[in-house]
Amino acid sequence: MAQKSGKVTCPSCGADNLPGTLFCVQCGTYLPSGGPLRTEPLPEQEDGRPARPRYDNGDPAERARTINIEVSVLDSGRKMLLSADREILVGRLDAAHGIFPELDMTTDDGLEQGVSRRHARIYTRDGTCFVEDLDSTNGTFLNGERITPYLPYAFHDGDALTFGTMQLQVRVFDTGESV
Amino acid sequence: MPTLDATKDYYRVLELTVVADQDAIRDARRDLAQRYHPDTGHGDTERFRQVQEAYEVLSDPLLKRAYDRQREQRGAGAGPVTLTLLQSRDEMPPMESQQMLYLFAEIRPQEGLRGPRKRLNIGLVIDRSTSMQGERLHNVKLAAVDLLESLQPDDRLAVVTFSDRAEVVVASQFARNRRALRSAIASIVADGGTEIYQGLAIGIEQVAPYLSDDTVTHVILLTDGRTYGDEELALSAATRAGADGIGISAFGIGEDWNDLFLDSLAHRSGGTSHYIDTPSKVQRVLRAQVRGLSNLVLKGLSARVGAAPGVEVQAAYRVLPNMELLPIKADNSIDLGNVLAGESCAIALELVVRDAEAGLHRVARLAAEANSIASARHVELWRDIEVTFTSDYQAKPVAPRLLNVLARLSVFSLQEQAWRVLESGDTRQATHYLESAATHLFDLGYRDLGRAAMLEVDRLSHGSDPSDKGRKKLRYGTRALSMSIS
Repeated sequence: MAQKSGKVTCPSCGADNLPGTLFCVQCGTYLPSGGPLRTEPLPEQEDGRPARPRYDNGDPAERARTINIEVSVLDSGRKMLLSADREILVGRLDAAHGIFPELDMTTDDGLEQGVSRRHARIYTRDGTCFVEDLDSTNGTFLNGERITPYLPYAFHDGDALTFGTMQLQVRVFDTGESV
Repeated sequence: MPTLDATKDYYRVLELTVVADQDAIRDARRDLAQRYHPDTGHGDTERFRQVQEAYEVLSDPLLKRAYDRQREQRGAGAGPVTLTLLQSRDEMPPMESQQMLYLFAEIRPQEGLRGPRKRLNIGLVIDRSTSMQGERLHNVKLAAVDLLESLQPDDRLAVVTFSDRAEVVVASQFARNRRALRSAIASIVADGGTEIYQGLAIGIEQVAPYLSDDTVTHVILLTDGRTYGDEELALSAATRAGADGIGISAFGIGEDWNDLFLDSLAHRSGGTSHYIDTPSKVQRVLRAQVRGLSNLVLKGLSARVGAAPGVEVQAAYRVLPNMELLPIKADNSIDLGNVLAGESCAIALELVVRDAEAGLHRVARLAAEANSIASARHVELWRDIEVTFTSDYQAKPVAPRLLNVLARLSVFSLQEQAWRVLESGDTRQATHYLESAATHLFDLGYRDLGRAAMLEVDRLSHGSDPSDKGRKKLRYGTRALSMSIS
């Protein structure tokens, strides 16, 4: 989740300052928080670069392959592009319990819509995407049908996923270099 | 029916931060109840009971809200003294590297708050070295007599002089036999060198026996020169005095005294040093000092930063009443001395935060404590500094008041850095700092100070040393930059 670093370079004297510095320590120039401070959105990166180390099962064909999943939240209109090279946890952020979902529904009114903090997980095996409900309070639905907790269900491009009452449209992009 | 007690820290009992939600509270209670249950071999009945009590309050949404509100008020000081806090950001991107977070805290006694006038116990320590001869000593003597006249009959005064050695001119006594005291002060003559330690030590020795809770005990040091070789002794004497509750203020007359040394000396007891550029001002400055001492509202104020792991206090500044770089002690506490009636004490802190995990974190707790003279009790205030680490971070505008403080602090800090690097001989860097300081001084409308800085830049670029006068004008002039924000 963490961004590497980001020194703030003073436009006036070129000195490096810690991010968040408001007045350059070398020359006192006002450094309004701008360019270098802006967070790169992770993991929902626009160009779909894998944000985390790739999942590696030792298969060279698999290694060359990247599956990207784009989810759009129907209500909020938010779109996220997720790289499925590692498991994606769907839920709501709870730092106190160490729950940091890759797909965090907090800002989409996740609580009101009945999304559990650990709601479901999404992963790929051999080029197929699976969703698995983690015994969430309000359930996970694939194309309108409630799925049984802890059982993987395959889903495909264009399918509808519902977490609690939150509806999502899924697009799957396979860079497909596997044989 | 559970009852809440806002003096207790229920969150700490449950080993939670104040941001915990109901799930977290339930989980914490379950884990801790298992750990301390009296039926288990390693049980702890008292802890078990505390966990139970904390849980009963926090698990009830209504009680929790009431408790949170009362705790917040207790910490902020709903009473006669309040603590307000501004932070530069309440959101940060999670980063593996360090980030800067600025805090501005103001400890403000209620308007019009003033206690009964405290009795004063003053030790006046006067430099009578040869350089004081003439106008300087004449004005100091006038000021000493003036000070005597402003004392009440129940106040105590001691007068000590020093040159190569120290003498007690007036042993600590009630300010009653004024005629005798006046002639003793008048008899002081200038002669010899400047040995501050001897004078300071005897001054402290004079006031120490009369220390008490209902008395303000203070040593006032007046000097115009540099002491050689006894700096360390003087500093440790000041540290001991500060720990005992004796304040020290240092006044430098003219340009030849060592401002860094006097600063450090005064800081040991939470006091300050002052620059008197012309001898005729001694009287006015000293009178203000004594009036301040008899109008204390808070005594022995100190702030402490309880920092979360990965959080460091990089620098601490006093902002009000004057700007100063403050020493941070090993336990992250900062001595702030006294607060006078009608004034407030404000500090700014630079925290360096390293946190790579998303979520709401309590990065630090700022606690302040002091003895309130007005209400004759110990005052304790605290505020939690919370930051949400989120990868959706968007820079938000910083509170204008905080920005204003930081702009001024930055200028003060630039010229301080100039003198510091100059000590190590880096003229080029010092010139750069002073030039930058000058630019911003002009920007802020302090043309006089800006010109003073440019004059020193000029001297440095021609290979000469900065002038003592310019240096003191800048150091003590920029301290007052915060006046306009109060």
